[in-house]
Amino acid sequence: MKIDRRKLLKGLGGTLALPFLESSCLAGETTPTRFLVAGNPFGMHPDYFFPKDFGTDVPLSPTLKSLDWLKDRLTILSHTDHNMVSGHGREVSFLSGVLPEDALAFPEKNMSVDQVMARHVGVKVRYPVIGAGLDSGIRMSWTSNGVEDAPFTDPQALFDHLFLNLTAEEKAARRNLIEQNGSVLDTVGKQFSGMKSVVSHSDMERLDQFQTSVRELEKNFSNRLNWIKTDKPTFDISNHLNQSEVTIENRYHAIFDMIAYAFETDLTRVANVAFPRDLSYTDVGGVTRSYHGCTHNGKMENVTAELVAIETFQIEQLSRFLKRLDSIKEPNADGSMLDHTIVLFGSGMGYGGTHSNRNLPILVAGGGFKHLGHVDTAVNGASMPLCNLYLTLLQRFGVGRDAFNTSTGTFDLSHA
Amino acid sequence: MHKWCFILTVVLSITRLFGDETLLQTHCSDCHNDEKSKGKFNVATLGSGPTSENYDRWLDSLDLVTSGEMPPEDDSKLSDSERSKLAKYLDKKVRSFAVGSTPKQAPPRRLNNREFANSVRDVLLLEDIGTNLPTANLIGDSLMHGFDTHAETLGFSRFHLEQHLEAVRKIVNATILSGEQPAANHYPIEARDIIQTNLQQSNQKRKTTPRRRVPHFDFLDPKLHAYFANFETAPATGYYKIKIRATGKDRFLYSSDDTGVYHGDPIQLEIRLGDRERIIDLPDEEETVIELKEWVAEGSRLELHHPTDGLRMRSNGNFKFQYAIAGEYLRKNDQETYQERLKQIRNPNYRNSNRGPNAWMHWTGFWQGPRPRLYEAEIEGPLFDSWPPKRQVALIGKDPKVEDAKAILTPIAERAWRRPVRDGELDDIVDLVERRASTTNDIEALKEGIVSILVSPAFILLNTEDVETRDRFASKLSYFLHSTLPDEELRKPVNKGEFNSLSQVTAWLGKQFETDAADEFLTAFPKAWLELDDINFMSPDPEEYPFYHKKNVSDDMIDEVLAFFRNAVQENLPIPEFLSADYSFINADLATIYGVENVPEDSKFRKYTFSDERRGGLTGMGAFLTSTADSLSTSPIHRAIYVMENFLGIHPTPPPPDVVITEPDVRQAKTIKEILDAHTTDASCASCHKAIDPWGYAFENFGPTGAWRDSYTAPSPMPLNEDGVKPGKKKLKKTSLKIPVDASAEFRNGNEYNDITEYRKLLLTAANRDRFVRCFITKLLTYANGVEPDDTDFVAIDNILSRSAEKEYRIVDTIAAVINSPLFREE
Repeated sequence: MKIDRRKLLKGLGGTLALPFLESSCLAGETTPTRFLVAGNPFGMHPDYFFPKDFGTDVPLSPTLKSLDWLKDRLTILSHTDHNMVSGHGREVSFLSGVLPEDALAFPEKNMSVDQVMARHVGVKVRYPVIGAGLDSGIRMSWTSNGVEDAPFTDPQALFDHLFLNLTAEEKAARRNLIEQNGSVLDTVGKQFSGMKSVVSHSDMERLDQFQTSVRELEKNFSNRLNWIKTDKPTFDISNHLNQSEVTIENRYHAIFDMIAYAFETDLTRVANVAFPRDLSYTDVGGVTRSYHGCTHNGKMENVTAELVAIETFQIEQLSRFLKRLDSIKEPNADGSMLDHTIVLFGSGMGYGGTHSNRNLPILVAGGGFKHLGHVDTAVNGASMPLCNLYLTLLQRFGVGRDAFNTSTGTFDLSHA
Repeated sequence: MHKWCFILTVVLSITRLFGDETLLQTHCSDCHNDEKSKGKFNVATLGSGPTSENYDRWLDSLDLVTSGEMPPEDDSKLSDSERSKLAKYLDKKVRSFAVGSTPKQAPPRRLNNREFANSVRDVLLLEDIGTNLPTANLIGDSLMHGFDTHAETLGFSRFHLEQHLEAVRKIVNATILSGEQPAANHYPIEARDIIQTNLQQSNQKRKTTPRRRVPHFDFLDPKLHAYFANFETAPATGYYKIKIRATGKDRFLYSSDDTGVYHGDPIQLEIRLGDRERIIDLPDEEETVIELKEWVAEGSRLELHHPTDGLRMRSNGNFKFQYAIAGEYLRKNDQETYQERLKQIRNPNYRNSNRGPNAWMHWTGFWQGPRPRLYEAEIEGPLFDSWPPKRQVALIGKDPKVEDAKAILTPIAERAWRRPVRDGELDDIVDLVERRASTTNDIEALKEGIVSILVSPAFILLNTEDVETRDRFASKLSYFLHSTLPDEELRKPVNKGEFNSLSQVTAWLGKQFETDAADEFLTAFPKAWLELDDINFMSPDPEEYPFYHKKNVSDDMIDEVLAFFRNAVQENLPIPEFLSADYSFINADLATIYGVENVPEDSKFRKYTFSDERRGGLTGMGAFLTSTADSLSTSPIHRAIYVMENFLGIHPTPPPPDVVITEPDVRQAKTIKEILDAHTTDASCASCHKAIDPWGYAFENFGPTGAWRDSYTAPSPMPLNEDGVKPGKKKLKKTSLKIPVDASAEFRNGNEYNDITEYRKLLLTAANRDRFVRCFITKLLTYANGVEPDDTDFVAIDNILSRSAEKEYRIVDTIAAVINSPLFREE
């Protein structure tokens, strides 16, 4: 049965109030908090992801082995989810708890937690959010407009975006083009107002989206005009991409290194990295099958092994990134950059093999939290809404609010 | 007299109504009451008649009673005549409610990328949007249940807007030229200037193989592309004359079993300029000169390629492994050369002397597989038919002036916006052009106006409410059939009222299908309806089913569906023939999968009649059977859901969130029925699965690629290592354990089948036939409107079904009835 939007709106009447204004007490702050999320579309094989025991100082599970060095500074959450029915397609709610088709019932639609943080950072940095991955996205990052923020899927393009500096001549041409485009938008916006006045009753949603797009792009252009004067930091990723064989691993190294450096130079404070469904992992050790095919392994030992290899690979990439952040001292503050960067790994799907979207594989590292090891978040057998964790992360990030979509409270994770 | 008659009728119909309502109580409320509500249904919710709250329940009741699925055969005493009485009662009630429901308007949505490219092309009067990949930057469209025209996923954001703006600028810049006419150059290209390149997705850098002076260039590895060293990209926009001297080599020398290239397929050369592809059949062993004249945008790459799905049969498909074929060929056919080489191989100083004579690396210099050979080429350009070029004159005139901006831009805006330009609407754009003219020349300033027109909401958004009814209808019709804006030839007659009747629509539609005018529909609609883009969401296991992967058989499977659909439209066949046909359109690759013989050894699709009653029509097609299967096993549930959703228009409710689905274990020696045991023994599962599973069991004889099988082969059980397993290329141990396939099942209405041949007959009962045609109509409406019809549209859809039935359900007549329906016309 289809969900009647209006009914849903009525039913959730209480939550329709505008979200709390995000605190702007960060003005003058010297040490930024950052956020990185890495996600996949098929979840993790639970037998290999979740450690057998709960508590701190428990042996890590096979998939997480590469994080052994960080064992005491991790929180792995069992029994948390968005209460979604089984099947593909719900993983797009990973970072919001809201499916696109139900988005209208929420004041910020299905805006993902990374975008809320990016909005909070705003024009303080050159790029409020950076999305990256290989091959294609996994639709995890959604704007307040209810539209997917597609990631960069080519490391070279990401490099150009983040680090390519223009010559003086190119800068002038770029400035001209931005101004020219600005005039076009201005003209287009006027036509839009005319059109809207004729429209009486139909679904204004789509029309508003257009208008918002024009406004946002105009704002973005003026932000870019401001930044164009400032040179970007220089960076070199050629060691990853100029090899005789460029593997998936090289390319993820390049992506994570670029993001780490973008954090270090404060180009951005929020990033998301996707491990997409259609990527062919055949240069990862022992993998011959498609990622999705491996999730439907029918419990065959050799196919399961390939799936675990892919999942282990994803965690290894994350681990390498965490190590890198941990090796950089946070300027103007105690601790490493990792201590000031909240890192989340997970998926909106529980495990592809069962199509379950319960008990999502969720891991938090860094961020200066007093980490808890492996935690069972269930209360009386009922799993914890994942949005509770997101609320905690938002608060840690400095976004002053007391609810996020389907949250019922916070997750008890204090910081030093 | 009249009065009495009237009263009498009323009295009679009241008793009849009461009588039928009693049937509902007597035969349904035992299982569907306040305490016991099987299938989450309680008769009491129907009340005394349909309301907006319970209408879906009435529709479900009507469907289930009509099809005989409710009340179920095993515990019902409902006679056939009572059943039809009950169905009539439900039908009447359903109709009584629908009277007076007003037609809805399709929601506004963004043009999808396909429509965007076509529309820009037609606004600017071009053959295509250009050779410099102007839309490569666009954010890919997401599909909604297969549909790329669905409003839900065609949202709009600043990212979209910026990419649109960039794409439009690129296209306009490659269309309208200002300044002096650029001089033409002549580029002679010798064989050694032809360079092989490997455009790896990884780093986008060209890997080149420098070549010494050579008499010709042969394409070996089909993954590689070639380009001309002295013409890497077009230096300026304009026409280019391209001449290439080439031939096909050694088409018949190696066996096609070895190469994967059929002897029946001509050797081809593909010349690619951005999205524009020209594929040329080369004569065998006879030099020919290919001549092309193309409009090429500045910066476009010209690339050449050997298009084939073969030359990947050995090992993991990498071309180098195919060299072994050369060695085997020599051993059989040229002993002298073979022995000569053997001597070299066995020389201990030879690097690979330790490898056996069959190893591929010994034979790299001996390849004589089918391949295009190029001798030389010649390019001349940019050339112009006049200055400014005629295409530009057609668009903005020979010497356009900013003073005339309004007159120049009006017809362009009218095409783009698919409606007349309103008073004063161009003022802001003209103003922009005038401001721009103060810093640049008139043509460049006018370009700014065209760019504005093409990023305006009136262009990018479809179905906005401000457009007049007839203009909306013309647009809708055009995007439905052509995926682009309506041209004058369509807008004029629509506005004159020449599309107001079913017969006018039918006549016009027939003409569209006689030419290639409706090609977009003939491809995009079946892809959306049957969710063909998802065919490899879970492809068959590459180790178990190598043929499927090595020959890209999924492409053939999609083409089979498209060929079948196109034929049905061109012949105006009855829609139920999609299920009843004993034929399909297949080529040699599909013949291999389907296990049929007497099919010519080539890639062409031809009509083939199956004599086994198992295949023919949609239910026997690889596209359906593969996309619904897991990689190593098949799922009767996935197939049942597909049949219900896409063929019958039934939407089963998904299992509740707290249901724990056990992970399939293909290692166990169990039949699928044993594995799904809970679906019949656990009452909570059974209440839904009894209605679902029988739709899928019939296909169990078709494996993950759609090939026929009489039994399952179970791999030997291997326990999972609890501490984690090391990945490795451990081959599955095959056992001789064979379990016969049981593809029988019983529906709730008591209909039984033993195998696919009996199942196919059950799909053709009157109730199922109507469901299928209704489902088809629903999918057409979804494609056209960007939103699924809902319950309140039931009667309007039923009316289309009646129009369709009057014409024996013929497909073109049915599509015409859809277009003529208030659900499409929105009035």
